[in-house]
Amino acid sequence: MNNHILLMIIFSALASLVFAFIAKHGAGERAKYFFYLFGSFVLLSILVGLIMYPFPF
Amino acid sequence: MNMENMESLPPKDAESVSPNESEPLSPAELDAFAPRETEPYLPGAEPAPATAGMLKTLFACLAGIVIPGFGHLVLRKWDRAVVFLGSIGLMFALGLHLNGRLFGPDFSELFSTLKFVADAGSGSFYWLSWFKGLGVGDPAAYAYDYGNVFIYTAGLLNMLVVVDIFDIAQGRKP
Repeated sequence: MNNHILLMIIFSALASLVFAFIAKHGAGERAKYFFYLFGSFVLLSILVGLIMYPFPF
Repeated sequence: MNMENMESLPPKDAESVSPNESEPLSPAELDAFAPRETEPYLPGAEPAPATAGMLKTLFACLAGIVIPGFGHLVLRKWDRAVVFLGSIGLMFALGLHLNGRLFGPDFSELFSTLKFVADAGSGSFYWLSWFKGLGVGDPAAYAYDYGNVFIYTAGLLNMLVVVDIFDIAQGRKP
């Protein structure tokens, strides 16, 4: 598993699943919250990565 | 009964008696004023969540700390138990597979302490792996940092799960 974005997607999916089951009740609400969190994780990670890209850290 | 007392009674003609007093209440109206032992049923309202005793709460929390998801199993929340056991277990296993390191009980520095606390949150997953000598960690590995993050997050999520167990057992959540 030497693919960073795949690992990030797996991490996001697992963490979102746990958060959705903790925070929401009912299949519909959980599904909506899961996709909201999962999308936020993935998109914000890519966005932060792009913002950090020019910096020579 | 003498006539003087009869005359002192209020007259019973239609004008002097109020409409409410003229007709007796129906059984349904009388039932509305009857004392109730329980709250009336409200259509669409969710029933109040049941609360567990303090002993069962403690047992469920301890079970959740030792094995992720097991506390929900004690409280008969099957779906959450399966999801938490699967997600946290998979996250921990992936962390080890990615050459992540299990940080031991080292309290000499703040960050080593925090790393240990986060790792140990996985309960038996952490301790069994630690005693078996797994999770040595290879800082030169490609996904070493990812592995560490997976292991930290598994432990931290399990701590949240234990709080969820407590809330369910105390009737704060359904």
